Amino acid sequence: MAKPTKQQTEPQHNPSINLKGTLIAVMLLGVFILATWFGCYYLFLSR
Amino acid sequence: MHLHKFEKIWLVFGMGSLALFLVIIGFAAFWKGTHPQSHIEIIDPENVEAHESFKPENLGLREVAEGKYIVNIVASAFNYDFGTDTDGKPVKKIRVPKGSTVLFQITTKDVVHGFQVAGTNVNMMVEPGHVSRLETEMKNVGEFTVVCNEYCGIGHHQMFATVEVYE
Repeated sequence: MAKPTKQQTEPQHNPSINLKGTLIAVMLLGVFILATWFGCYYLFLSR
Repeated sequence: MHLHKFEKIWLVFGMGSLALFLVIIGFAAFWKGTHPQSHIEIIDPENVEAHESFKPENLGLREVAEGKYIVNIVASAFNYDFGTDTDGKPVKKIRVPKGSTVLFQITTKDVVHGFQVAGTNVNMMVEPGHVSRLETEMKNVGEFTVVCNEYCGIGHHQMFATVEVYE
């Protein structure tokens, strides 16, 4: 059985990897969570 | 450890949100005194009349000071006992002026009930053996329906009353 080489086991550190889509998705989810939370809090304060 | 610039952004955003929510919970609990509605005080569910607040003559709406009210209620399957009016009929509607502070005190003789004044922040679980309390300011004018929101048996849907807030 072939031994795994170092290159295969090390995680990749590629600074040029494109994470723009991931950032947008994460921020959309974050903004949605914050908006719904503050929406509920506004309901609590106004009632 | 290398982190992508975007990873740093969403980690800071996520941890910042967590910190913000924890601060708000701490503020609500320790500064504003928010807590579960039934706590500490216990009562014998088979003899609720022994408690000063739940004697038959003390049930219902009572003005204790200018703009301050107490409402005592005994819940049972399938009724909210708000006491009786001058004709001896059971009270099913209470009226308070806008802006008044109302303390709802409620307990149950039998099973778990709910007490929700729909459209306001009054929403409590009513457990046998406990006294549930919630004080609120009635900010909005209108008629609000009191409903049981914990399934309590075959007549669950018949448990309701009305709170009217007038100008």
